[in-house]
Amino acid sequence: MAKSDDNMEQFFNLWKEGQETFLKTQQELYDGFQGALQGASDAGASSMDDPVKTWQKMVALWAPQFENFAAQFDAPIDGNAFFNKGRDAIFAMMDPAHWNKIIPEQLRGILETVAQGPRFADLATPQIDAAHSWRETLDYQTASADLAKVLQGAWGRAYQKFSEDYSLNDLQSGGTDEALEAWLACANKELLDTQRAPEFMDAQRRMIRASMEIKARQRDLAEAWSENYQIPTRSEVDDLTKIVHELRRELRQVKRDLANVRSEKSK
Amino acid sequence: MMPVKRGTDGEPIDVNEAAAQAWALAWQQMMEAGARTVKSNAFLSRTKDDEVAIAETPADLVYQIDKIQVLRYRPLTDKKADLPPVLICYGLFGRQTMIDLQEDRSLVRNMLEAGVDVYVVDWGNATRADQFLNFDDYVDHYLGSCVEHLVDANGGKPITLFGICEGGTFAAALAALRPKLFAGLALAITPIDFHGKPDEFRAGEGFLNSWIGNLDEADVDLIIDTHGMLPGAFTGAVFSSLTPINSMTKYNLGLAAMEGNEAAMLNFLRMEKWIADRPDHPGGAARQWLNQLYRENALVRGELVIGDEKVDLKKIACPVVNIYALQDHIIPVSCSKALSTFIAPDKYHEIGFPGGHVGVFVSRKAQGVVAGGLLEWMQDCLATDAAKPKHAAAKGKKQSKK
Repeated sequence: MAKSDDNMEQFFNLWKEGQETFLKTQQELYDGFQGALQGASDAGASSMDDPVKTWQKMVALWAPQFENFAAQFDAPIDGNAFFNKGRDAIFAMMDPAHWNKIIPEQLRGILETVAQGPRFADLATPQIDAAHSWRETLDYQTASADLAKVLQGAWGRAYQKFSEDYSLNDLQSGGTDEALEAWLACANKELLDTQRAPEFMDAQRRMIRASMEIKARQRDLAEAWSENYQIPTRSEVDDLTKIVHELRRELRQVKRDLANVRSEKSK
Repeated sequence: MMPVKRGTDGEPIDVNEAAAQAWALAWQQMMEAGARTVKSNAFLSRTKDDEVAIAETPADLVYQIDKIQVLRYRPLTDKKADLPPVLICYGLFGRQTMIDLQEDRSLVRNMLEAGVDVYVVDWGNATRADQFLNFDDYVDHYLGSCVEHLVDANGGKPITLFGICEGGTFAAALAALRPKLFAGLALAITPIDFHGKPDEFRAGEGFLNSWIGNLDEADVDLIIDTHGMLPGAFTGAVFSSLTPINSMTKYNLGLAAMEGNEAAMLNFLRMEKWIADRPDHPGGAARQWLNQLYRENALVRGELVIGDEKVDLKKIACPVVNIYALQDHIIPVSCSKALSTFIAPDKYHEIGFPGGHVGVFVSRKAQGVVAGGLLEWMQDCLATDAAKPKHAAAKGKKQSKK
């Protein structure tokens, strides 16, 4: 029994030491943040009094671009301006088209900072993954908008050309079918010319890249889900497929070599 | 005071009356267009998918290797042409059913009615289990094995391989690697020089060449790595975008223009059925197709390696007929005609079809120009001397039939 008690005592001591070490580490971490924030704070030690401001300052240290980004939202969110703008401000906040004006450059920078930052063993992995995912979504939105813009330009030029070449008088003396044919020919020419242009091809390429990155992220999520539920992942099945493929090739080669040897022997 | 509007003849116009006339005219024509659409919609509503039949010429399985099948078409006549058997090999981006889309527009039926023994390769449905298959597998192993089987079945005598589109590139490569297997090589709408002559591309031509050329190797790898395959839906969308206005209007204006005409509607629906059945392209082979061929142009540069051997097109030893479409928006003429620089002039023939990529097989005109030209070439170049028509001897060394 004494031996058993000794073991228990040793265990509790170990646990206690572990707790003390953990708390000490937390304290050091806290002190570190405190010190960092003091450097950026007007009021020094009082910065921890307001948790929202503390968080904002910490983010500002971590991702300086965030300040610019947050400023874009300050007007509609802060005080009277928010209530004065009322419905429009709320809709603006919910409208992705509004985000697109400010998000791609600034938020992308922030997400990039988080996504490409150092990876910790036990901290922030989901946040880093989310930053990757969000950045890729933004890239896709931007790429889609860029491609749409190029095509919109083509349609605009087609309208312009058609309105120059085809007048109301033509419509009165001709027919709607003829006008439609003329419009389609005009649009077709502009679209074909645009599809050959470098700005279209570059937008198309960015769009392909962005959409593939989203697909790849979906795949990662599916793999994580599969792993969680003990279901073979796509990577595992692909690995097996590759092994079978290579084995079959080797077998095919061996069969060929054998046939050649037999053929040589029979000569 | 309101300014007076004047017409093109300078005469004053009563604006209200002119607007009313234009409105009445537009309304009348819209009604007429609406009536045409109603007729086509009525046809669509009473037509079932089963009634839109394609590839109906009966055929029997004679050889299989993994998912790849060789089918032999049943003869349609007692006549037997003194010609080597023909194996038709389509690409992996579409189905071989294109060669037999309908009874009166069928390359297969035209050849069968001439007494030719016709076989076709069916690549089957590739899945992600096939994603690592590449040119070594498709050209050297699968197509090579199919041809070897038919050569054996033909008493050891060589056969004719008829490759179409990507299948034509495969066929040309195999004919260069194993020339002894072939009595003749026929190619249709086949890319050989994947860069072609961009200065000669017409408006709307060569998009694939420039779009893929604008990607880098990593872009292509990203697409293939992400999907494992090159999805049929992806390639279908790319092909649609090559002809944007046609793709946008075929289901509205195009259908209305048919006014419910049964023959026209069924032709359209057969083509739609073929397009809708677009298989996924195995990833390994797609990676090579896009990177090595489209981007790097490895075939004409003599740098394409299949089965540890470089493909040298100059090693093609049999007579060759190269059929290309003069208005091909997918494979520009210069991409196909480049083959002529690799083949001995006395063995090389061309048929330039005045139509588009798919029109080579499905247009009414193609039945005479393409099928007729192909049969004539086989009679002239592949028949035994006794069976050759008398006019064959008078033919020039290199002819271009347009």
